[in-house]
Amino acid sequence: MIQACGVGLEYADHGKSVCACAEIDLEVKPAEFLGVLGPSGSGKSSLLYLLSGLKRPTSGRVEYRGTSLSTMQDAERAALRWSKFGFVFQQPYLLGYLTAVENVTTGCPGTTMEEAMERLSILGLAEKAHRLPHELSGGERQRVCVARALAGSPEVVFADEPTANLDHTKGFEVVAALLQNRGEGALVLVTHDPAILKDANRTVTMNDGRLSCGMAPTRD
Amino acid sequence: MTRYPLAPVTFLTRNMTKIMPMVGVIVLATLLVAGIVAIMDSIPLSIRTTYGYSKNYLGVSPRGDNDLTPKLRRILEEESPVPIGDLMTCRASNFEVRSIVGPWQFVIIGLHDEDVKPYLDRMGGGKLVGRLPKAGLPEALVSAPLARNLGLGIGDQLLGPNTQDSYSALPVKVVGIVENPLWLALTSFEYLALYHLPPIDLLIAMSKDPARQAEMDSWTVARFEKERARVFTFAELEKQTDKMFEILYMILNVVIGLLVVVITVMMSLLMGIYVGQRMNEFGLLQALGFTRERLVRRSLAEALIVVGLGWASGVLVSFGFLSLIKAVLFEPNAFMLDPLAPRAYAYTLPIPVAIALAVSWNVVNRFRRFDPIAVIERRSA
Repeated sequence: MIQACGVGLEYADHGKSVCACAEIDLEVKPAEFLGVLGPSGSGKSSLLYLLSGLKRPTSGRVEYRGTSLSTMQDAERAALRWSKFGFVFQQPYLLGYLTAVENVTTGCPGTTMEEAMERLSILGLAEKAHRLPHELSGGERQRVCVARALAGSPEVVFADEPTANLDHTKGFEVVAALLQNRGEGALVLVTHDPAILKDANRTVTMNDGRLSCGMAPTRD
Repeated sequence: MTRYPLAPVTFLTRNMTKIMPMVGVIVLATLLVAGIVAIMDSIPLSIRTTYGYSKNYLGVSPRGDNDLTPKLRRILEEESPVPIGDLMTCRASNFEVRSIVGPWQFVIIGLHDEDVKPYLDRMGGGKLVGRLPKAGLPEALVSAPLARNLGLGIGDQLLGPNTQDSYSALPVKVVGIVENPLWLALTSFEYLALYHLPPIDLLIAMSKDPARQAEMDSWTVARFEKERARVFTFAELEKQTDKMFEILYMILNVVIGLLVVVITVMMSLLMGIYVGQRMNEFGLLQALGFTRERLVRRSLAEALIVVGLGWASGVLVSFGFLSLIKAVLFEPNAFMLDPLAPRAYAYTLPIPVAIALAVSWNVVNRFRRFDPIAVIERRSA
């Protein structure tokens, strides 16, 4: 579904060229749970940005269903992200002036309040649907983010260290919520914690911007 | 009705404390400009109102030779293309009325007994409290606005020997007040002829059809150009007033221009802070898939709503403020102020326009350099 071929990303930092990712070949298959493991600064978040079209690669190409993301206009890539992809970031980013249910409607075009409410109910947040983000706990906010990412049943959900700011129990709850509710969608989850990826169909490891030769155990 | 959560109005209504300072600045700016212009405009408006009686007739005064009056009268009678209704001979003297910018000269007209009623009829009549002045006696009739301006009632002194600026050899008492919106002061021809200078007979000419007075005024001004006479018409008064205020308005334009620049810069800075505080929100939305153009449009819509709301509120507040000062300060003294003067509000238009342009530039410029990843990663850090 998503194919990365020889992908690299370099950027300038104080006049120096920094390589965030290099020569990455990777495929995201439909409905799979792909884990990306690596220490802090290994380039795994950059890889996620490249695969999701948030950044353009400086070398190689990323294709979505045979179409290169690099040749797409910004507006096309934005439309793709909004309609086909879902995102969960490390911080539970929510719009502070919108209620939980309203935040969920922003995840995908055409998401109604009823659909958003249903998503929250599935995640056990029905009673808190009309609360503002500051009235929710960190774990609850992250679950609202999960509900938002799953709005519109995306083809791929990209999760960037979604458990980093949560304790172990809550972290597992969030990952479980993603896994149980993603339907037919693929899940690409970036983390430094291997325990989170115990249910992954496949795990790749990154070090210094490159995929390690040895893949972590794969679960079918 | 459910509103789209990302509609600009949703943000604005749920963040009133954030937008109120900006709305407040625009309200104050609008109030300041509308207030200055309305109060400045009250001066020419006062001139036009105070001397508004001259819309109803024209005056002709001989220059240098009182014997010319019969000749001027004959010209009017024989040559005027506009049929003349009344042609009166009168005397005139000056006294002072109060205005927003200090004392103004006003005219008291001395009429023959038989001319008083036609004169008042031409002015629109009105209920008379008291009586008309008697020939040769130090008596005066004033209209209600004038009485209010000078705080006069029946029996009070209008002119007198004890005042330099409203002088008369004898104390001239008010014997009648006519309920008429125009400013009028009348006494008898005989009294002015006996006690006041200059000893010049003036002519008051009224067109038969009041609607043709302006036509008659124009003809008279042109016809008497080469005569030794001076013609007083409302059109001339307007022309002089406009000329008098030409430079003042030029200065006013500069002042308002500076004000608009200062307020625009201030608002632009405020809006910059406001948009800057929301870059995390825009970064998240852009990461989720909102296009830059859509976010720019939304930010512009929000900014324009704030500017429009500020200006509309400013206009309402200005109207309220001007109505209040009119009721409390102007009306009791018969000073003129028009809280609905279109010009006062027209002068405020550059404020929202300039702010909208500056803010649009600010928003577009910020988004041009905007990287959502940088925002997300900065927050993650």
